[in-house]
Amino acid sequence: MATTKKISLSEEELVSKLKSRDTIAIQALYDMYSGALLGVISRIIEQTEVAEDLLQETFIKIWNSADSYDSTKGRLFTWMMNIARNLSIDKVRSKDFKNSSKNQDIENNVDFIDAQKEVTFNADTLGIKDMVTALKPEFNDVLNMVYFKGYTHVETAEELNLPLGTVKTRIRMAIMELRKHFN
Amino acid sequence: MEEVKAYIESGILELYVLGQLNAQEQTEVEAMASKYPEVKQEIEAIEIAMEQYALQNAIKPSAGLGDKIFEKIGLPGNLEKAEPIVKEVIKPVVKEAVVIPLNAAPYESKIKALRIALVACIALLVVSIIALYNAHNQLGSAKDQIAELNLNNEKFTSTVNFMKQSNADLQKIIDMANDPGWKTVKLAGTAMDPKAKMTVYWHAKGKHVMVDNSKMDLPINDQQHQYQLWAIVNGKPVDLGVFDVKADSTHILVNMKETGSAAAFAVTLEKRGGSVNPTMNQMVVVGNVSI
Repeated sequence: MATTKKISLSEEELVSKLKSRDTIAIQALYDMYSGALLGVISRIIEQTEVAEDLLQETFIKIWNSADSYDSTKGRLFTWMMNIARNLSIDKVRSKDFKNSSKNQDIENNVDFIDAQKEVTFNADTLGIKDMVTALKPEFNDVLNMVYFKGYTHVETAEELNLPLGTVKTRIRMAIMELRKHFN
Repeated sequence: MEEVKAYIESGILELYVLGQLNAQEQTEVEAMASKYPEVKQEIEAIEIAMEQYALQNAIKPSAGLGDKIFEKIGLPGNLEKAEPIVKEVIKPVVKEAVVIPLNAAPYESKIKALRIALVACIALLVVSIIALYNAHNQLGSAKDQIAELNLNNEKFTSTVNFMKQSNADLQKIIDMANDPGWKTVKLAGTAMDPKAKMTVYWHAKGKHVMVDNSKMDLPINDQQHQYQLWAIVNGKPVDLGVFDVKADSTHILVNMKETGSAAAFAVTLEKRGGSVNPTMNQMVVVGNVSI
């Protein structure tokens, strides 16, 4: 098989090249983040084909709306991740998707995807997964619903029958745990 | 500062990063971030955590999806030529066309088999050449041996022939001793060569005359000359033939011409082939027949 050489650029270079519509930027973004973005999408939609279609849409949107990205408002990946998440959530909620997919309850997606897909875990990843599951279940549930399943925090509060402030705090606690691990 | 801390701890920044806020709330957070560096730092820390988490839970897309996307975006066809001018790692996307034969496995095994066969052939060739070389050497030495054996054989044959002849001659000499008809005539050296001597056997009735080589003591004659035996019959020399004196004579007895009567025998050294009349001054030996 051909060995695909990965392109890797710094964030500043990526942004400036993306904005100047240098095609190397999209190749670099694909090489660096396609896996991460597909991971995010696949948390919301488990069907591989649909997820990959959405990944494709995500990159096209990144390319076409590069001008709307403002680096003062956040990191490039956050912006891309939210594009991917929003497209995925829109898809899940679209009428044609609901009709065509006799898929499992959205609640089961996480485990289903983990079982089905070749998740590119590296040695550290195993540690993170353990760590995330080691979070207190109430924190974990909230993060899962918002981050992985595309619920809004308002919906999550309704679903879990919790005050909105508690949901916010739990999301914060869960992310704090992740930060402890990465910092 | 308490206000900032409370703001950070409210969890709104996490929702901001997760894209959970409406436009108004977003603007508010952005305003706070530009006002307070702590807020900005906090947002970035959350972002990095979420980014790391996403990177570590990446799922590899199907091969070829990237090309599909690049195609839709309308990238120039030749991706290799897009050379980025950046200080960091620059690794252009190169998707090499690799020809994979449909029946790769049998093809490879065939090549492998052929290679083994080739090696075997070479090995066989080497062994054959060595064997041939050895055989050639052995054949050469065998030929030498055969030649040597042939030579030996010839030597033996000649020796046997010589011995047979000698044996026959000796037998004849024994017979002659038993036959009273045979006379032994001893010829003695003349003034020319006093030490010379020889023996002649003569059978008067049978007219046989023989020279005994074993009892001959004459100088070896050269190529131009031969000894000639004469019988003195009624005072006149009668030619009895010529003979050579050689170092390696095979015959003990040499038959000469016949004569029925002789008073004496004499030998002269003559030119090769003999003379009609003896050269008297070349007489080597002479002996009378004793009656």
